[in-house]
Amino acid sequence: MADFVMEAKHVYKAYGYKRKKLEKTPDPQKCVSSGSAVEAVKDVSIKIKKGDIKLIFGPSGSGKSTFLRCLAMLEIPDRGEIYLGDECLTNPGVDLNKARARIGFVFQHIYLFRHLTALGNVELALRQVLKLPKEEARKRALAALAEVKVLDCVNKYPSQMSGGQAQRVGIARAIARNPDIILLDEPTSALDPELTGEVIDTLRDLASEGTTMLIVSHEMPFAREVADEMIFYDEGTIVETGPPSLFFNAPNTDRAKKFMTRIINRTTKE
Amino acid sequence: MDVWQQLIFLVEGVPLTLSISLISFLIGIAVGLPLAFIRVYEKEIGFIVDAYEKIFRGIPEIVLLLLFYFGLGPFFPIPFGNALFVAAFVLGLRSGANQSQIYRGAIRGVGDEQIVAGTSIGLSKWRSIWHIMIPQVLNFSTPGLGSEYALLIKDSAYVYVIGLAELMTRAIQLKSIPPGDVVTPFVIAAALYVALTFPIAFWLDRWGNKRKKKLGL
Repeated sequence: MADFVMEAKHVYKAYGYKRKKLEKTPDPQKCVSSGSAVEAVKDVSIKIKKGDIKLIFGPSGSGKSTFLRCLAMLEIPDRGEIYLGDECLTNPGVDLNKARARIGFVFQHIYLFRHLTALGNVELALRQVLKLPKEEARKRALAALAEVKVLDCVNKYPSQMSGGQAQRVGIARAIARNPDIILLDEPTSALDPELTGEVIDTLRDLASEGTTMLIVSHEMPFAREVADEMIFYDEGTIVETGPPSLFFNAPNTDRAKKFMTRIINRTTKE
Repeated sequence: MDVWQQLIFLVEGVPLTLSISLISFLIGIAVGLPLAFIRVYEKEIGFIVDAYEKIFRGIPEIVLLLLFYFGLGPFFPIPFGNALFVAAFVLGLRSGANQSQIYRGAIRGVGDEQIVAGTSIGLSKWRSIWHIMIPQVLNFSTPGLGSEYALLIKDSAYVYVIGLAELMTRAIQLKSIPPGDVVTPFVIAAALYVALTFPIAFWLDRWGNKRKKKLGL
């Protein structure tokens, strides 16, 4: 048994260079194709234990989302290793579809399947990936929808739901498979403040059940309440990590200090 | 022959006209959908799709019909000796080239975020395309598909060159029956073609728009 649910070692991902050249030289700046390469993830490592709730925050455009997508292998890292339990996902020949079935992913812009109802959205993976029989898939999908409290939307299409309802269906779609870990990419930032609350409540419920989660978010009161560890991410690297108390009192780095001040000012103004 | 007899004689050709256009429409879907997805998502071999489209959109159907039926038929009687097969085959391949272009626009319209969502739940890229994209792409394409079907009904008239007794062939046959009325048979045929194309295109368009509205596509 591995010690960690998920572990990333020295993950590197950049855009805007010639990929073939990068395999030969370690310096991506030398293989820039046009303009300059954007290094979204520079040598980032992370370890997540079962039941951990970690929260990544930092300026927009700093590469948080890319890092999260790399962990789920939705983007293939250029270098580095990603482990899901004992399995190294970055090894060639690994069945990534099977691995992704064990990772729940929630998108900032939700990305529900628009031709399916809420039930259909949640059922699809259960039927087509886990190959569950119809009855059982339905039962589990309904249970997941009940857990995020959207049973009133079961037969609604995404276009007929509010943003908050849609995102909770998105969360149901991610948790219905009982994944080892759930990665959430700014699950509330596309919603207006009123709807943010209901999604945060859902996440709080998941947290209290011991769900392993890695969340990119700037919901500071929520972070303070549920996060075991906060990770400040800027310019493609982890700048500082620590418990919420560290960040809310006195972060060690200037950059984190500045960012926290700005965020706390913004929150209190609201 | 009086008008009624002419009408009945022509209407007897309608099932064949409908079969040719329906079968070739289905062949067009089966050919066009994969081509469109290959063109959008497998850029390295996209040129094959381009070449296919250029060839089948560039050659008149009548040339292809004659080529396959009289050119290949004697050497490969199975399947090219069968006029119905050649008709559906030629019109189907041509329709595939047209439909590929219709679907390509629809794929761009639906966007590929949902494929990412599909892979995130453990589906492969092509299974995401099958379960998630194709239902939406077909729906997105309804106006274009309506006119494509109308086009196939009309183009099935070319089939008279290989002697299938569909609507057009029968109209030409009537012309040569004494006293040689050249107006009535073609007026009736024209009316029948309109009756065959218009309702289906209209219905597809309306159904598609209603559903699109519902799904917010």
